[in-house]
Amino acid sequence: MKGSIRPLTFSALGIAAVLVIWQVLAEAKVAGNALPPATTVFSTLATILGTATFWSSLGATIGIALLALALSAVAGVILGLLVGTFETVRFATLAVLEFLKPVPPIVILPLAVLVLGPTGEMSLFLVVFGCLLPIVMQTVDGVQSTDPVARDTARSYGMREPEILARVVLPSAMPYIGTAMRVAAPAALVVTVVAGLLGGGPGLGQSIYQAQAAGDYASLYGMVIVLGVLGLLFQGATRLAERRVLHWHESYREVMP
Amino acid sequence: MRNWLIGAGAPVLLLVAWWFLSESSLDPFFPPLRTIVGRFQELWLFEHFQSDVLLSLGNLFLGFAIAAFAGIAIGFVTALVPPVRWMVDPLIHFLRGIPPVALVPIFISLIGFGTQMRVTSIALAALFPTMIATVDGIRGVGNDLMDVARVYRLTRRERVLNILLPAAAPQIFSGLQVSLQVAFIVMIASEMLGSSQGIGAMTLLAQQSFMTADMWAGILLLGVIGFLVNVLFSLLRRKVLSWYIGSRRMARAA
Repeated sequence: MKGSIRPLTFSALGIAAVLVIWQVLAEAKVAGNALPPATTVFSTLATILGTATFWSSLGATIGIALLALALSAVAGVILGLLVGTFETVRFATLAVLEFLKPVPPIVILPLAVLVLGPTGEMSLFLVVFGCLLPIVMQTVDGVQSTDPVARDTARSYGMREPEILARVVLPSAMPYIGTAMRVAAPAALVVTVVAGLLGGGPGLGQSIYQAQAAGDYASLYGMVIVLGVLGLLFQGATRLAERRVLHWHESYREVMP
Repeated sequence: MRNWLIGAGAPVLLLVAWWFLSESSLDPFFPPLRTIVGRFQELWLFEHFQSDVLLSLGNLFLGFAIAAFAGIAIGFVTALVPPVRWMVDPLIHFLRGIPPVALVPIFISLIGFGTQMRVTSIALAALFPTMIATVDGIRGVGNDLMDVARVYRLTRRERVLNILLPAAAPQIFSGLQVSLQVAFIVMIASEMLGSSQGIGAMTLLAQQSFMTADMWAGILLLGVIGFLVNVLFSLLRRKVLSWYIGSRRMARAA
């Protein structure tokens, strides 16, 4: 059934229907100027795509998100290995981590803006704050789930603790880290946009805020469409990267007939 | 035993350290914890409790409730009627790619700054995680279960309420948990973008007017709410899904 013609037809119908409804509602001025017609939005979007400002803010958004993601990945895995390996550290940090886990970065946005100002560093800090904890927690889970037999075997082969950590514990925690990264990557993009929108950090979030404040609704919609596409690309890219990096793990292996 | 002492002691120690280290702080960004707690009490207990705290929480719960019911209902229709699924699938994936907070400016331009806009933003942004999880949950229900239902000649209504809903419940609850977090984030964002009421608005206004202690008090309150809402939801989940959690534990022990 997959890839057959019928679902595709229906998908195309669905998209076409939404575009037509949008166009009709906008032409009827149901929301005044706040809902520009689809045609206007797409032609504005085409104009925006030709400007250097757009590409530099797109670059800023992607750059901040990726840099913060890399920072949180490195710091998160190191912290996770530390917390997961030493029981005392784990118990000492348990309550704090559990408290901070459900607290989204937007909560400390005012503090970040106050101390760092509306800068790229502020966005970077918020994204790291948002992505670090899930990676730490998942790495801890991964370390905890290491097969004790594998650990003991490594020890009886005469491996030292650092070597066991690098060769046994880290690889067996990798799928957990992969899951954390898959969740963290779209989140990094979201937080970057939030930091721009509410905190004035550079990037597409800031552009959206400016478009809204200026009443330039066609650009506003165009920018949101760009963000939707960007979000899809981020999700797709992380899923692909996860498969690539973890192809050796049994949960990712392709079944051979 | 020793570990639990460490576990309980560490956060207490941290708070005590914060209290005493910040005691004589003159740094405008990091006021003494004593001042923050004082402002916390003055602001939230109970001067602005009704006007802002209850308002924010009311929006959060109303928006989340709408998202939960609509998400589960739309999820069921989408999963059970293939043409609908084919039609909305690409749209949903596209909408899911948009950061939920980026939708807030659109709603502001469409509906204005009022409570209605905030509830709509929260409900719509929180809708997708629940809906997608519901669709996945129903698709994951085993064929043998549906065959048995057919053999027993269950009506469509019975099949949905007595078989599909419970079988998809664990997935639905994971979706609801994500929805709740999204709802909380959008609640704050919708208040921070140009409204004058609500905890988020008060916190951002305090920051913009350099009332640092007030800002810290707002951050503390938001953090505590974020934590408590999550705890309450986990308790609810444990209660509703007790049969599932029990069976998982049995399966793992076996």
